[in-house]
Amino acid sequence: MSKIEEALKKARENRSKQLVPSGQVSSVEGQSASPKSGRELLDIESKIDSSRRIATMREQGEMPQKQLALKKIIYPDMQENHIANSFRELRTKILQKSNGRQRTIMVTSPTSGCGCSFSALNLAAAFSFDESKTALLVDCNLRNSGLSKILSSEGHGLTDYLESTELDVSEIIHPTGIKRLRLVPAGGVREVPVEYFTSMKMRSLLSAIEERYPDRYIIIDTPPILESADSHILSELCDFVLLVVPYGKFTQSQIKAAADAISGEKLIGIIFNNEPCVPGQSWRRFLKSLFSPSGFKWTGLKKAV
Amino acid sequence: MNLPFEQIIRLLINEAFQYRRAIVSAFAVISLAFLSVGLVWPKIYTSTSTIFVEQTNVINPLMEGAAVTADATNQIRIAQELLFSRKTMSIILQEGGWLINELTPVEQEKVIQGIQGRTSISMVGRNLLKIEYHDDLPERAFAVVTKYTDTLISRIVDEKAKESKEAFEFIDQQVRDYHDKLIVVEGKIKDYRSSNPDATPGSDTAVNTRINRLLNTVETTTLELQEEKIKKESLERQLSGEAEVTASLSHEGQLRTRIGELQTELETLLLTYHESYPDVVRIRQQINDLKATIEREKVRRLEAKKLAKAGGQPYVDEGISNNPLYQQLRSQLSATKTNIETLTARLNESQKRLDEELERSKRIHGGEAAMTELTRDYQVNREIYQDLLRRRENARVTMNLNMDRQKISIRVQEPPLMPVQPSGLRFIHFVLVGMFLGFAIPVGVLYGFQQVDPRIRAPGIIVERLKLPVIADIPHLSSPAEIQAIATNSRWLAVVVIGVGVIYFVVALLKVTGML
Repeated sequence: MSKIEEALKKARENRSKQLVPSGQVSSVEGQSASPKSGRELLDIESKIDSSRRIATMREQGEMPQKQLALKKIIYPDMQENHIANSFRELRTKILQKSNGRQRTIMVTSPTSGCGCSFSALNLAAAFSFDESKTALLVDCNLRNSGLSKILSSEGHGLTDYLESTELDVSEIIHPTGIKRLRLVPAGGVREVPVEYFTSMKMRSLLSAIEERYPDRYIIIDTPPILESADSHILSELCDFVLLVVPYGKFTQSQIKAAADAISGEKLIGIIFNNEPCVPGQSWRRFLKSLFSPSGFKWTGLKKAV
Repeated sequence: MNLPFEQIIRLLINEAFQYRRAIVSAFAVISLAFLSVGLVWPKIYTSTSTIFVEQTNVINPLMEGAAVTADATNQIRIAQELLFSRKTMSIILQEGGWLINELTPVEQEKVIQGIQGRTSISMVGRNLLKIEYHDDLPERAFAVVTKYTDTLISRIVDEKAKESKEAFEFIDQQVRDYHDKLIVVEGKIKDYRSSNPDATPGSDTAVNTRINRLLNTVETTTLELQEEKIKKESLERQLSGEAEVTASLSHEGQLRTRIGELQTELETLLLTYHESYPDVVRIRQQINDLKATIEREKVRRLEAKKLAKAGGQPYVDEGISNNPLYQQLRSQLSATKTNIETLTARLNESQKRLDEELERSKRIHGGEAAMTELTRDYQVNREIYQDLLRRRENARVTMNLNMDRQKISIRVQEPPLMPVQPSGLRFIHFVLVGMFLGFAIPVGVLYGFQQVDPRIRAPGIIVERLKLPVIADIPHLSSPAEIQAIATNSRWLAVVVIGVGVIYFVVALLKVTGML
């Protein structure tokens, strides 16, 4: 951090030398002979500030790998490395599409039981692999919320915030036991959730969340798009939509119907999920396990079993 | 789904692993079912014999070209009729030991139907007849095929002998029939010839030659006659008035020439003498006489012409008549007239003869048609008769050979053997097929299901058909408990597969050692 502080100090000094007010930087930007204009320096400063804030984020106790494995959450050095890599690639593609800007990403599926929450959670986890980024998972599946159970999150949630006038945004954002990953749980189960998402408060909540950290990616887990109107409303509030399609469950027409329900430009792609596979990379170990008396050994499993 | 082969295989492997319990269960059930069927499958012993049979029958070469015989005999059908006859079947029942137990007629019929069902008769190549029989007992299979073979050979030999005898008798009868026909036709020809003398061979040609010659003669004579007539007309014209005028004019010309000469002489004398000179007077007198002569001549000729015209005769001047040329012409005319008469007579004679010959020709042609009819019948009958004579001799030789059984037309090519190994599906077949189908059927069913199931199994299809981008392809993530379950489950499945193999091995071992 010493280097960062030195750079910050140097930037301040340079800026103090310039007599031009910061609001007029853009007007003289083109005429400035100096390669580092004031705005660029501001950006660097904000990034450094963001990194420092992320690095100093308050973290709960870290979830052990065996727990992550049991909850089917990816982590960097897991055995099923190809799955983690798939989510890494997905993250990279989203970053490319977002041009480095902060984005709100909605994850939905045609019907329930498609692995929508699994995909949303692991995508958020993949974002949190990067130490300079943070991810916030918002559970908008009010009827069938599962993320708070998976991440063992207790306390106020989304519905509580939207109903209450006293709760602060920070009170509904909970640490998850995964570094740089935060969760907004669904809160209490509500029968008529549409009205929550159409409210101005929901819109202002998303803005507030975005403003908290510049490098925060907000991932929203939503109900199935063919079964609930919530997802249609939420897709209007998001920048990107990802549609989770599980292996061997839907016909072309069903997938097309789900895709048509999302406004065309926001749908950036389909996550083809749950493709069955023989234990690929650990095939040799798997075979060995068949003939070993203790069975198949999986990292983290030894302690668990 | 139209997927690349590699992807189909990948999907198949992945889903096979997913449904491994069902697949391994199906494998175990199917392979053990086949093993069980293989154990209880009855052993079948087959005995075979091959018989060389000449494809052609006796009558075919004998009657070749002379008569159309029926299609080639169906050897299989004949063999079946011979072998499945009640007589043969009784022998077989006796030979196979079925009659040891007292059987009712209904039971016998059932046994016979069973034997017939287990017997197969087929042709191998053109001349080999194969008899195959399968039974539970190798000895009985052998005994039945041996009896079949013996029966078939003896029956066919007898049939052949009978057949050749019948063939000879048939041809002999035909020969006699044709001989009688020939005699009848010969008699008819003889009668016809005696009643029609013109109906001798070659008379037609002679008459035609004569007709041609006569036609030539008539033609030539007609032409000559025409020529002579033209000649006659020409001569007559020459001797007619025109000639006369010419001659006449020539006589007057002579007189005028003479007058001219005297006139010249007179003019010459007048140059020297007077009119009164006697020579002058004489010459003048002569000139006048000559002129008077000319006038007289003219008058005389006109009168003569009138007279000739009145008499219908051509007028001929006397002076001319005495002319040698005129005489020659007259002579020629006379000769021409003679020729004309001669030629006319010849033409009439030739024409008459020609008519006679034509009449004769008509008679000959009429007779010839009748004669041709008779001759044709005769020739056809004679040819067939001669051919049949030759064939009768062949048939006689064949009949004698068959009666002495010297001609080899049927023999055992491959005698029946005692079967030592069961035929048909054996235990090893069931073992191998069971193992293969135990694997192939479940995988095939899985493949078929994948082909007909419209649900999307490959992200490529979403991209290709729905034109939607697939941003990630996430494999199934198993929890540790799931992996543990997979491992345990897989171990059990492996145990099942190995167990099936062990069962196979043990059963095969027991089978080889004869304990099963």
